[in-house]
Amino acid sequence: MSAPTKRHVPLTLGHKKNKASIRGKDKKVTLNLTSMIDMFTILVVFLLKSYSAEGQIVTLSDALTLPESRSEQKIELNLEIIVTNDAIIVDGEPIVYVDESLLSEGNPIPVLVERLSDHLEYTRLMRGITDETEMKVNIQGDVATRAILLQRVMSSCAQAGYATQNLAVIKVEGGDEE
Amino acid sequence: MAKAATGRSHRIRHASELDLLPIMNLFCVIIPFLLLSASFLEIAIIEMSPTEGISTGAGTTSLAQSEEQQLQPKIILTNEEMFLGTVFGTRSISRVFLEERNGDMVSSYDYEALSDALEDFRGELDTSFPTIPVHKITILTVDDVRYDNIVMTIDVCADHDFNQPGLQVAAYSVLQRQILAETGGVSP
Repeated sequence: MSAPTKRHVPLTLGHKKNKASIRGKDKKVTLNLTSMIDMFTILVVFLLKSYSAEGQIVTLSDALTLPESRSEQKIELNLEIIVTNDAIIVDGEPIVYVDESLLSEGNPIPVLVERLSDHLEYTRLMRGITDETEMKVNIQGDVATRAILLQRVMSSCAQAGYATQNLAVIKVEGGDEE
Repeated sequence: MAKAATGRSHRIRHASELDLLPIMNLFCVIIPFLLLSASFLEIAIIEMSPTEGISTGAGTTSLAQSEEQQLQPKIILTNEEMFLGTVFGTRSISRVFLEERNGDMVSSYDYEALSDALEDFRGELDTSFPTIPVHKITILTVDDVRYDNIVMTIDVCADHDFNQPGLQVAAYSVLQRQILAETGGVSP
């Protein structure tokens, strides 16, 4: 068995030291950082790619799963309406609990219209906004939300004065067609 | 006697090692920072255009708008079938089938067939009405169609430049009557 070279000093554990290791104990052992630097470089490039200077401007509720879409339109900071199969939440406050009677007709929901109208009036007073096109809402709906519930929320928004309704979705890359 | 030249230098060369510690320090600072500010989930929006039924009722319609409205296609989603209704007629696109999504078996439609149909319709529009831009489309559904199916439909429409979707929900009986009327009384 050949003696260990200077570059490959064997690992010594406990007191089972052989002559070769005793001879080489004054040698300076350096850690090879090259592979770690390689790994860090890849990690930094990946993280830089997913870096967002704007940060997260919406808070996703744990109670829902947003649908995926190829839409490129960026989300803006607006009033948030969360629609789950259990409740309709406006700005973090549960307004209506979903039951069969709510899903049986297609008109605007009066309680929701009232809440949204109040919010609109408050926003107008505070910000002095009079242009209706600036009055937008972001609707976060669960993938399993029924169309009737979504339509009732949207018609409630329209009736309250929110002319533009944005549906929040999770952006996915461009698809595989073409 | 002179020593014969061997062509090899006998000087001992010490390879100068790069000091990687400052780079390591930089990486140790930059990686937690980037990890904190990275967004792995990007949120986008789909802007819905107001349609009849959810319209605010504002504004007057010009002649061009009314022409666009006449040419505006609609996609009808029922629990059994998907239809495309255009100025050239209403036709069936696909039947509903079950598909696994996130571990659940859910109803789905053939979106590739819809894409082909919309491509054909876009071609016909460009040939027959080249001066009228048509970007609006109505998604007309029965009340229990899932939200993700609506979003997928909107996505396919946007691929063919129908990027101003509106949503309307009707009872199944109403939709059935409309489909039968538009297809000449024969269910496709």
